[in-house]
Amino acid sequence: MQTSIVISQTDGRPMYLQIMEQIRQRVGTGEWRPGEQIPSIRALAITLQVSVITVKRAYLELEREGVIVTQHGKGSIVAPDPHLGPRLYREEFEEHLRQVSRIAALLGMTEEEIVEKLRDAALQLETEES
Amino acid sequence: MNIAMVSRLICKDWYLNRVGILASLFAGVVTLGMVAAMHRSQLALILGVIVVVTILIGMGAMVMISAANERRQQTLPFVMTLPISYREYTTAKIVGGMLIFLVLWVALVADIVATILLTPGFPHGLIPFVVIMAVEILMSTCLITAVSVTTEAHGWTVASAQVGALSLNVIGWSIVRLPEIGGSMKSTTVQWGGTATTLVAAELATIVFMLLITFFVQAHKKDFI
Amino acid sequence: MIDAAVEFSGVSKRYTHFTLDRIDLKLPTGCIMGFVGANGAGKSTTLRILMGLVHQDAGSVKVLGHAMPEQQATAKRDIGFLSEDMRLYGSATLAWHMGFVRSIYPHWDSKYAEDLLRRFDLKCEQKIKGMSHGQRVKAALLLALARRPRLLVLDEPTTGLDPIARREVLGELMAVLADEERTVLFSSHNTLEVEQISDQITFIDRGRILESSDKETFLDRWRRLRLVLPPNTKLPGLPGVVNVDGSGRLPVVTTNRFEPTMVSACTEAGVAVQAVDVMTLEEIFVARVQSQREGQAL
Repeated sequence: MQTSIVISQTDGRPMYLQIMEQIRQRVGTGEWRPGEQIPSIRALAITLQVSVITVKRAYLELEREGVIVTQHGKGSIVAPDPHLGPRLYREEFEEHLRQVSRIAALLGMTEEEIVEKLRDAALQLETEES
Repeated sequence: MNIAMVSRLICKDWYLNRVGILASLFAGVVTLGMVAAMHRSQLALILGVIVVVTILIGMGAMVMISAANERRQQTLPFVMTLPISYREYTTAKIVGGMLIFLVLWVALVADIVATILLTPGFPHGLIPFVVIMAVEILMSTCLITAVSVTTEAHGWTVASAQVGALSLNVIGWSIVRLPEIGGSMKSTTVQWGGTATTLVAAELATIVFMLLITFFVQAHKKDFI
Repeated sequence: MIDAAVEFSGVSKRYTHFTLDRIDLKLPTGCIMGFVGANGAGKSTTLRILMGLVHQDAGSVKVLGHAMPEQQATAKRDIGFLSEDMRLYGSATLAWHMGFVRSIYPHWDSKYAEDLLRRFDLKCEQKIKGMSHGQRVKAALLLALARRPRLLVLDEPTTGLDPIARREVLGELMAVLADEERTVLFSSHNTLEVEQISDQITFIDRGRILESSDKETFLDRWRRLRLVLPPNTKLPGLPGVVNVDGSGRLPVVTTNRFEPTMVSACTEAGVAVQAVDVMTLEEIFVARVQSQREGQAL
């Protein structure tokens, strides 16, 4: 399996978070399928030119989230849950919604205003896609 | 002592200084020929000897100052991070430097002595003097090597070469004044006396002493870089 | 298998204008450690003592299980070293150097050497004096790597390299670790690359080791808290405060013992937490050194 993960040095977030996000995205889009083998910690570390400890941490956190499963002595695989992909996407969606409500609250927007903005955004997306 | 490593280090130094070494060997061989060809003239012989001495010291200096060169060229870390100890490094520098010198030295001294012995009319009494001076040259070379290895500085090494050249003159002229040596120089037979033996023994002892001091100093160095 | 590739215990070295003071260091096998310090902090001296190039005045040094400097010849069979002030022989070619090193190290990997020649874009028939600085560094690195050492010690390997060469060098360093038995120790004042590739990080300043721990712990424990103090409120006592900047009512607190409970502790004390900033290794290093120096000045 080719590793398409890319680390940005200007991204202010810790590297292990970047790695986690990119792995979650690949699982979310179905690029990495449930049960599929993912690169070993060491191999990924070398490819990305980051320390083993960083990758190890990312994998540990991902395992805690249930995104991957590490088999002792056999490397790591994407969690075999078939609903994993859609679930991750849904979780990301929920997270974004939370952020929207938080900022909306700061701006003092009402519920109706938020809903209207959402409709506008969805419409915009439709026009762009067609 | 890892003999294999020491020989590799010596070969390395010989390779890196190959041009100078070959040039000197060539010049030395030419002088050998000159000395043999001019055996009829004592003046020419003495001149030839002076040329030889200059070549010997000059050539030896090239390999001997390699220790000082290592420091100046900053190649010391490269060499010292090879699997060697200081003793092996010192041995390689000393043996590597002296070996080439010795080859030519032995050849030239033998040639001069043979010329004196075989040329009719040549006073054989010169031989003790020649031998003493030859060993003195060996001593000077050893001094230059020792100073180069221990100080690793060009300044000191050049100074020691000058000391060597000076002492050659001083010792030469002083020894000639000794009745046993100077007096017998014109005789037709070799007159090897107690004085000659003492002098040569003293010179050899000095050489051994210098080498011992070198190894001692090197073993107690705490900063090699 | 040896547990620690390098062990320094109470190592001291005195020079006229500089002293290395009771250095303790432990480098586990299979680890890559970044050694960070300002110029003149003692990084090079420490690495030279490690290689037996300099003898310590006090303390014990063990490298790959061998006592240094007594057993240095044996230890150096498995070590590859590269320092910024190291030069190869200008009048000789890279090929000569490769042959020379190959004749000494039984583990020399010719295929790997050829591979590196290609990847580093070096010509082995070229004389060293004809090479650019970057090429010389890569040549010296090739010689150190191709002997397949168990320990790689590099003193500022990327200083003075262009970005492409830097990437190549870092990539090779990482590749060394594909074998879990190999260890890398490199010193640098490029905190960005240290932060990226190191497992362990050690700070050194003015001859003293300030800290040595695993990278993620470092990056986790240090935070900058931007607080807003209501009028007539004092700053609550927080653990591990290294520095307080900012104005009276808008302090910026740097702490090296951050925990999420701190945030709640602040809000409970009526202090608003505007932001909790992650710190880069550079910021951490500077803060740590400053607090050390101020502490010493006191």
